[in-house]
Amino acid sequence: MESVPLLRINALTKRYGAVTALDSLSVDVPDGRVGIVGANGAGKTTLFRILLGLARPTEGSVEVSGANVSHDPIAVRSRLGYMPEHECLPLDQTAADVVATFGELSGLPVRAARQRASDVLDLVGLDDARFRPIGGFSTGMRQRAKLAQALVGDPRLVLLDEPTAGLDPAGREEMLALVARLGTFGISVLMSTHLLDDVQRVCDYVVMIDGGRLVVAGPTDSLLERTGTVTVDVGDEEAAARLAAAVVAGGMSAEAVDGLVQVTVAGDDDLDRIRDTVAALGLPLYRLGSRLTSLDEVFFERAAR
Amino acid sequence: MATATATGAVYDRGYRPYDGPRGGRGAATLALYRASIRRALGLRRSWRQKVAPFVLLGIVTIPAIVNVGIAYITRNQLGRRIEFITYREYVGVSSALLVFVALTAPDIICPDRRQRVLPLLFARPLTGIDYVAAKVGALFSILFAFSFLPQVVLFVGQALVSDSALDYTRDNLDVVWKVPVSVVLLAVFYAVVGIAIASLASRRIVAGASFIGLFLVSSITAGILVGGDEDGRVLAGSPAALISVLRLPLYLRDLVFLGQVDAGSPLNGVPNGGLAAVLAYLCVLGLGIAVLLNRYRWTER
Repeated sequence: MESVPLLRINALTKRYGAVTALDSLSVDVPDGRVGIVGANGAGKTTLFRILLGLARPTEGSVEVSGANVSHDPIAVRSRLGYMPEHECLPLDQTAADVVATFGELSGLPVRAARQRASDVLDLVGLDDARFRPIGGFSTGMRQRAKLAQALVGDPRLVLLDEPTAGLDPAGREEMLALVARLGTFGISVLMSTHLLDDVQRVCDYVVMIDGGRLVVAGPTDSLLERTGTVTVDVGDEEAAARLAAAVVAGGMSAEAVDGLVQVTVAGDDDLDRIRDTVAALGLPLYRLGSRLTSLDEVFFERAAR
Repeated sequence: MATATATGAVYDRGYRPYDGPRGGRGAATLALYRASIRRALGLRRSWRQKVAPFVLLGIVTIPAIVNVGIAYITRNQLGRRIEFITYREYVGVSSALLVFVALTAPDIICPDRRQRVLPLLFARPLTGIDYVAAKVGALFSILFAFSFLPQVVLFVGQALVSDSALDYTRDNLDVVWKVPVSVVLLAVFYAVVGIAIASLASRRIVAGASFIGLFLVSSITAGILVGGDEDGRVLAGSPAALISVLRLPLYLRDLVFLGQVDAGSPLNGVPNGGLAAVLAYLCVLGLGIAVLLNRYRWTER
């Protein structure tokens, strides 16, 4: 029996007057952590609005776990969590109250909602601050509170709209670590972002859209093609420069970049030659691996087609 | 998983899925209703937020307590029983109720829009109709309680200080249904109009001032058009009295208690004045509901 995909988007078109936000978008998305990637105005927010039942498709359809969003939005939303990009929480209420209320709004009984509010606030690292008004929270804490309200109803799917927006580097790391953990809890994630690095780090599957059209979709690993280049880490910039010179002298193409050596290889014999050169120079070999394309390269290359 | 330290251990409790009962639209609407009531009464908020509702409850109950007190003092003076307020006059007589609506309706509506909470609410199993029902229902419930409880105090107090509580109850049995019906008519009207006006503004102060302004301006305009003697007594009724949004629910109250328009009312003498009042009341109510449903359509937000 064919398994039902997490999302089945079929010829989805959304027009606002003369503006086409989504243009015949068709893609099946599996369970897991999925990144929706595109520049500003690519159609990510419109897609989220349609998934939430807040906008109707002009043409086409969207199914979440087999339920048609246009036909049964209530059923879809009953097991869906949403974390918007913008500020969206009542500032004069405590995190515990807000998250518990959203738990009740997701259909949980009062006691269960309060218990789960405590649990998810603990999970996102706000256990000590849960009785403080949200108005006094930092940006990072507000992002966590937003994530907590999205999780309190134990959703099957959680929509995260630019979850790392506005966060400092440490806050971003923590948010990405939380998102990465959601997959282990059996919660599928649909993360909209224009930061390809975020997607590359936490998502198993990527959907790239540009101008409302599908650019490419597939497992993250399959998109990150091998480039025919290996990266060699021999410790520091001086060692990298010595190795690059030696490899070039040996008849191969190489260059030292940011303390690493990138060598163009044709086969396994070239890998042996690199290893032997490192040994001959008496350098430590910390890492020797294939360099992958980045999602940025995939996006720009596919979008240009 | 536990990480041991010299002073204790940090436990990562992980994530526990929820497999208990789960409600649908009804549960979500009820949750929003409860949250709105808590907000309106200032529960789980600072003490400042609790002042207005409970001061109002005190203010609207004072006439009943005074009335009962006077009745108690004069209980042994034959033929001198003083009742300075009747059950009919006690419905909607306090302007404190209007001020309460002007403060509370914006407080339970405007922050949702201003703080952009609406997309989160509508990401739940909740429709625009459910949202409107929960908000109007919450304000209605409080207004009903705050209008009805003083009447209960008045009735029970009067019965207790009378010569025979049983006789008093039998003699005033009609108020047992007339009071709740007219309080419902008043509370529904204030709740719908208050929430509808609040839904059109994102700032609470603007919404509150608009509500008070509508009631005051329409009342003054009606007063000027109807006219009266030097003491403000109405000499002849006029259909222009229907302009007063303030008095519309009071005309219906009079119909419930008296079966006709009150003799001292600005509608007295107007042909089919009672029917016209009912239609005007329904028109304002319908307009308020239409504004709300249009404002909270669940799609294309």
